[in-house]
Amino acid sequence: MGMTGLALPWETKLSPLADRWETRVEPSEQLGGPGQATASANTEDAALAVACQSGDLRAYERLYALHGARMRNMARNLLGSMADAEDAVQETFLKVQRKVATFRGQSSFVTWTYRILINTCYDARRSRMRKKEVANEESEESVRPEPRASATHPALRMALERALTALTKHQRDVFLLYEVEGFRHAEIAGMLEITETASKNTLFQAKKNLRTMLEPPRSGAAGAR
Amino acid sequence: MTINCNDRERIFEDGTAAEWASLEAHAGDCAVCREELRVWRSLSIAAAEMRDYSDSPMLWPRIEEALVQAAEPGERNTRSWGWLTFWKHVSVGWQTAAAGALVLLLAVSASWFYVHQRGLQEPHDPSLLKSKALTEVERTETAYIRAIDKLAADAKPQLDRPATPLLSSYREKLLLIDSAIDDLRAQAGQNASNAHLRYQLLAMYQEKQKTLEEVLEEKR
Repeated sequence: MGMTGLALPWETKLSPLADRWETRVEPSEQLGGPGQATASANTEDAALAVACQSGDLRAYERLYALHGARMRNMARNLLGSMADAEDAVQETFLKVQRKVATFRGQSSFVTWTYRILINTCYDARRSRMRKKEVANEESEESVRPEPRASATHPALRMALERALTALTKHQRDVFLLYEVEGFRHAEIAGMLEITETASKNTLFQAKKNLRTMLEPPRSGAAGAR
Repeated sequence: MTINCNDRERIFEDGTAAEWASLEAHAGDCAVCREELRVWRSLSIAAAEMRDYSDSPMLWPRIEEALVQAAEPGERNTRSWGWLTFWKHVSVGWQTAAAGALVLLLAVSASWFYVHQRGLQEPHDPSLLKSKALTEVERTETAYIRAIDKLAADAKPQLDRPATPLLSSYREKLLLIDSAIDDLRAQAGQNASNAHLRYQLLAMYQEKQKTLEEVLEEKR
């Protein structure tokens, strides 16, 4: 599953940062369970849902202030264009406004909002693909990311963006939600309507595939396992 | 906790904090696991490069305008039906009770309307004549009575002195008919709009006409 031209010089590019990276472990796996911050977030989430249901525009503004940037970034990574991403975020807010009366609280309000965003992005992408009349499924799945503002590792980011297009839709969604947007598996499970275990497994498969696509050609043996 | 190379992928997939710590300790002595661990984490670092939370000052005003525009057409509708949203906060038991009460209220209302409608329909009973129709009936009836009276005048000589037992019987019959007519006219006088009485009266007049015609036929 290797991808010619995507291989990265891991050691030279990533070692300094990799050494500083701390392993991310789900809060549910830690002793003590959810803390006070989680309870506070849940309260705010419920209050936000009620305020939006009452039609309070300030509640939508609050939702945007809390999640607008992340929603925009998520949409941009799914659609490949900032203009399309902003359209998708706007459409998501309109859908939230239309459907908020049907929100019953089975998931958190924010999770529900992101689920709408993800579906909106896929609708937008399907619509765009229909317009372009691309018959090839490979082409349909691919997203050509537009250039971003300068980053610390632009080559690394571009290589990863290209590699992501080769993943399955599910693997890409989970990778973006977990690794880029920082959601927990429980939240991702709610957004994508899968189990938490499926989310963990999908992330693992996604990273394995990305690792294979991005790894440099090895000169020696793969090593013992 | 003892960790070896075989545990690495399982920990990558769903490892606890303690298992990750053990894997890192193991990686200190194992070059392969050290390399795998670094590459695995590097993907997370690369993913962070895809995070761009820069501000977009024009996006919220745009969304706000769209939300306001979308809310306007539905505002009247929301105002009209908004009170229904409070049902969402009412328990299922109370919702069921309220629905039952509503059904009962509708059933009672329907029954009341049914009975009331029947009451309203009574003046429209076809057996009762409206004033215009009554005038027409009375006018025709008067003309009819006058015509029968002429017949009676013609038959009077035979009936006053009946020559045969048959004519005597006709005379008795006509007396009974006249008595019945008087009774019916008296009742019709009290309830002029009663069409049923008018039909009975008409039948009596027809019977009288027929009997008088038979008396005159007997004369010939």
